[in-house]
Amino acid sequence: MIAAVEFQSVSRHFGAVKAVDQVDLTIAEGSFFAMLGPSGSGKTTCLRLISGFEMPSEGSVRIFGEDMGTVPPNRRHVNTVFQDYALFPHMTVRDNVAYGLMVKGQDRRAREGKAEEMLSLVKLDGFGDRKPSQLSGGQRQRVALARALVNEPRVLLLDEPLGALDLKLREAMQDELKSLQQRLGITFVFVTHDQGEALSMADRVAVFSEGRIAQLGTPEDIYQRPATRFVADFVGSSNVLPPEVTAAVGGPRAWASLRPEAIRVVPQGRLRGTVTGARYLGAGTRIEVTAGALPRTPEYFGHTENGIAVLVPAGHQVPEIGSEVALDWDAGALHVMEGEA
Amino acid sequence: MHSDGRAPLGLTLGAIAGLLFLHLPILLIFLYAFTTEDRSYQFPPPGLTTKWFAVAWNREDIWPPLYLSLRVAAISSALALVLGTLCAAAMARAKFFGRDTVSLLVVLPIALPGIITGMSLRSAFAIGEIPFSTWTIVLGHATFCIVIVYNNAVARFRRLGASMLEASADLGANSFQTFRHVILPNLGSALLAGGMLAFALSFDEVIVTTFTAGQQSTLPIWMLNELVRPRQRPVTNVVAIVVFAATFLPILAAYYLTRGGEETAGGGK
Repeated sequence: MIAAVEFQSVSRHFGAVKAVDQVDLTIAEGSFFAMLGPSGSGKTTCLRLISGFEMPSEGSVRIFGEDMGTVPPNRRHVNTVFQDYALFPHMTVRDNVAYGLMVKGQDRRAREGKAEEMLSLVKLDGFGDRKPSQLSGGQRQRVALARALVNEPRVLLLDEPLGALDLKLREAMQDELKSLQQRLGITFVFVTHDQGEALSMADRVAVFSEGRIAQLGTPEDIYQRPATRFVADFVGSSNVLPPEVTAAVGGPRAWASLRPEAIRVVPQGRLRGTVTGARYLGAGTRIEVTAGALPRTPEYFGHTENGIAVLVPAGHQVPEIGSEVALDWDAGALHVMEGEA
Repeated sequence: MHSDGRAPLGLTLGAIAGLLFLHLPILLIFLYAFTTEDRSYQFPPPGLTTKWFAVAWNREDIWPPLYLSLRVAAISSALALVLGTLCAAAMARAKFFGRDTVSLLVVLPIALPGIITGMSLRSAFAIGEIPFSTWTIVLGHATFCIVIVYNNAVARFRRLGASMLEASADLGANSFQTFRHVILPNLGSALLAGGMLAFALSFDEVIVTTFTAGQQSTLPIWMLNELVRPRQRPVTNVVAIVVFAATFLPILAAYYLTRGGEETAGGGK
């Protein structure tokens, strides 16, 4: 099967800055693909390489097997939902949605019928005559979605699609985007810095760091089996253990990750320590346990020296700061990261 | 909005005095267009009449300067609309070395005293052995008209944002379609306002014109010459009313247009 999108050692340099550095990437047709990473990691540039607003400095971008070379954005069967929606303020919602058909020369009756169809797909029936300024943020987002879908793109690109929405709306839109993607069967590629969003919506996630892909896999792979320290910390802020510490807690001598929620506070366990901090998170309390027995290393990633983060689920007794506790975890919870030497 | 709702008395009086100072002379100009006395500006006017409007209408020396002024204003604002818009488009969309310097150079002619612009143009025409014509006046006026259009257009371009142009391209539009369907409708009122301001400025310009007109006279120059001669003085005032209308109305319209534009542009965000 031909991949929807394929990057062959693609680089994009801005002067001396390597925004995208030798990226190889395959996005299968019909998948919901997330590009996850902090700002400046190259994820948005990758999206723009697909839409055609950036051209690779090296390598090639293929869409359904066809080398895009210098094909301009308006000749690619790819459409984008922009981060700020970029709706045309002087047009009605209906004209916004029908824009792609208008520039193709479709007659008014046909394109307005299609626009209404798209508006009803995103549950905005009856909003066609309004101006974008008369809509809420969530409604504008749906208009942007309908406008991008009207051209029946083979790949839909979404740039931080939910970034500007409040939490409640964001969660509702996550479910809606997911079900829309399944119904339409179009390949969705979306960029986000929100790991929760990437994990809950995508079926494949690429984690970007400094212009490269740090790890590519299913959300479960990324979360349960992070390949590098960066991924372990960025996706759900794990405990990242240097080789000495891993060895001291009974693992091999290698970098490992240990999820805070995999650790239990018990009467007798693998490790003893003192509670040195606590933060209430609602669904649980995250405590920090300093284990004096652990070797001190300069490279502790993410947390304080010798501190292990532990998530105490709501309903469980939270040990007081200063008290002595024992910690335990299942042998399988300690994940050795192959990506770290 | 105001808790006490009233400005101090001194401030109010000051504001009234300022407004009177600014606008009373203009009202006097209007008044003397109706006076029955035609040799000196006697106050109060001995009587009121509307005959000067008829006299002005029949004076054949008024029409050529009026036509010249209208022609120059129309051509230089049209020229400014095309060049100013292109210039603004380049400045707003492209990033290149020396962009800020170029931007400053574009705006500079309006900061430059008209007398300098006029002198430099006159010597340039002399060196190039270019005879004075409508076009030399147009060239002089275009220097500041372009700035007016450019300033209006560049502000709107900035508000337009890059992503809207990208969205248009993303949806399949070529650059002409993007210009026609996205840029122009959003720029329209700013351009209209810029064009009208340019027209108004060109219509009553004197300083640059005196250097670039040669023997021709535009309406303001005709008025200046006429004031020296004590003959049918109220005719000059009648013409002044025409100049006032031709410049004030476009400026007023431009003010309302750009104000409305801000509202719609802000509402889209």
